[in-house]
Amino acid sequence: MNMRPESVRIRLTFWYVGVLAGVLVVYIAAAYSFQDWQLKRQIYHDEVQDMETVEGLLYFDGAGQLHLHEEYHSRPQSRLLVDRLMEVHRPSGELLYRNDRLNGMALDSAIQPGEGYPSYNERIFQLENGERVLMISHLHPVDGQPLLIRIGYDLGPAKSRMMQFLLVLLLALPVALVVAGFAGYRIAQKALAPLGKMASQAEQITANRLHDRLPIDNEVDELGQMARVFNGLLVRLEQSFTQLQRFTSDAAHELRTPLASMRSVGEVGLQQAHTEEGYREIISSMLEETASLTQLIDGLLMMAKAESGQISVRATEFEIDDLIDEVVGLLGVIAEERGVSIRWDRGRRGTLHADRALVRLALVNVLHNAIKFSPQGAEVTITSEILKKEGQPFLRILVRDVGPGVRDTEKALVFSRFYRSEATRAQEGAGLGLSIAKWAIEANGGEILFDPHRLNGATCFIDLPLGYGWRTVV
Amino acid sequence: MQTFFDDGRMAQAMPVRHVLIVEDERKIADAVAAGLRDEQYEVAVARSGEEGLARIAQHVPDVIVLDIMLPGQDGLQVLRTARKMAVRIPVLLLTSMDSIEDRVAGLDAGADDYLVKPFAFAELSARIRALSRRRVPEEVVVLELGDLRLDDAKNEAYRGKMRLDLTQREFQLLEYLMQNRDHVVSREMLARDVWKETSRYTPLDNVIDVQIARLRRKVDDPFPRKLLHTVRGVGFILKDESQ
Repeated sequence: MNMRPESVRIRLTFWYVGVLAGVLVVYIAAAYSFQDWQLKRQIYHDEVQDMETVEGLLYFDGAGQLHLHEEYHSRPQSRLLVDRLMEVHRPSGELLYRNDRLNGMALDSAIQPGEGYPSYNERIFQLENGERVLMISHLHPVDGQPLLIRIGYDLGPAKSRMMQFLLVLLLALPVALVVAGFAGYRIAQKALAPLGKMASQAEQITANRLHDRLPIDNEVDELGQMARVFNGLLVRLEQSFTQLQRFTSDAAHELRTPLASMRSVGEVGLQQAHTEEGYREIISSMLEETASLTQLIDGLLMMAKAESGQISVRATEFEIDDLIDEVVGLLGVIAEERGVSIRWDRGRRGTLHADRALVRLALVNVLHNAIKFSPQGAEVTITSEILKKEGQPFLRILVRDVGPGVRDTEKALVFSRFYRSEATRAQEGAGLGLSIAKWAIEANGGEILFDPHRLNGATCFIDLPLGYGWRTVV
Repeated sequence: MQTFFDDGRMAQAMPVRHVLIVEDERKIADAVAAGLRDEQYEVAVARSGEEGLARIAQHVPDVIVLDIMLPGQDGLQVLRTARKMAVRIPVLLLTSMDSIEDRVAGLDAGADDYLVKPFAFAELSARIRALSRRRVPEEVVVLELGDLRLDDAKNEAYRGKMRLDLTQREFQLLEYLMQNRDHVVSREMLARDVWKETSRYTPLDNVIDVQIARLRRKVDDPFPRKLLHTVRGVGFILKDESQ
């Protein structure tokens, strides 16, 4: 069974109370020891004062007997010192005086060497009857004779005072813990309340209501930060959802066009009897639509795979000029047929490290596009150059045509799927070519764009990084 | 070498070939079966893997067309079982997913070839021809059709005595059409086999159409007998219709 409390509030409270209890116990122990030490210092000082008093009251009578002027006896002011215990010895060890309060018990054991000289000695020990005594001893001359005077007081009153002190401290402990626990619980509750609020608000946000955001009370605090991060996530989610929805509806629309024409060709074909030639015509026309459907779906599948990272990029070293030759050779017939010439100005020969098939795919699509939009008799120019962007060298392949060009507002849009500008709407193709080219170049760490400064015609830049190295071929 | 059938159609002497189609989608199975019957194959259709295996046990066909997605036992399991039954005949797998893993799995299981749906019938027919040709290596391919003749060694093509002035690509195209003469060839087949294009999404159809038009100008335009025909919506065919 899991004994951990479920709620963070309760866990936090437990932790809080536990830590506080630990701190308080340490504090009590420290306070108690300090107080105890302080008290013993106090007693010692009082005893030293008492010793000075006693030393003045000692005298020898005619018979050489030691006495204490009891009539002058004054009790120490401290309430901690109740009954004086006193012994006087000669340094040799001979006992000269022991007061009545001792009832014949010895005040500590035999004299130790050097005891009471030059300063006071201090000892704590137990009397025979079990009383704990703090004793000081001092060597002091009385009537010219050196005497070792020992004075002690019972520590009982001090101890009971310490016990009282401890009791007060210990009684306060549970009260403090209960109060602290309650306060901690309330604080945790208050601190976590916005989280609960956020959770219930987040629950309201579904795929269909991604435009909702969490309210941010305080930008700077931790919860505000979390809400900001969460909102950022929502923004990205919403963008990709919108993109997906747009893509789905675009794809559906694109699929619908060939489907609709297939359907109407079929329906009209069945309306009346036709000759064999007529039926052939109908079926062929439907098959043509199937072909464009298949091509469209292939393109979509490829984009979907590309975007979910299912197409791996296999970089090899290859000569870019050979690749351009190959692409020009491939599309040359179309250009010739349209009366468009391709001029390919070789730059410095060199090898590039990239996925050849992908670069080729991009080049074929871009060049095909350029040829498609070129008027009869026009020229498509391909050049390449090595440039630097932010200190990094890259190869730029420029494909230039003198067709209708790309409007500034469309320069980014042309690379999105299914985009066809007004000028090109009449042209065949699903509008996937440039978005496939864009993906293929970006998968190789490159960039594809239309020259923003070009005024007539269009120039497509295909930029490929040379970070992996450019080897000039001699 | 050549015999005349009753209907006057000329064909090479070839034993009747049996094809087993294992496919649960009725429309596809029926269309393919009808198409293959038109090409003089003996066709049997099984609608599940179990039925397919039962048919193989009864009578071993010459070629099997096997769909991967089948109810019950899937195509790959059927293929493994068939191979365990020591069936060595060629198998053409039909898949609807064009991924490398699928191909690897299919080839591992012992398939000889695969075709991704949706496929052109022309392509399926060409694959089956290629697969059954494997079994008959002695078949001599004569690259002659009417008065059109290809000299493979010299890369030269003639109509009658006249040599045709073809580019390299045009010759390859004509050669491929010639190898598949009397059969429709789709644009996908040309892209893959003549242009060696691996990517399925390259704007190559335009190139192919232009190239065919140019070839036609050289092969057919100057001559009264037309050999290169377009089958709209399907592809192209090299065929001598005057016979």
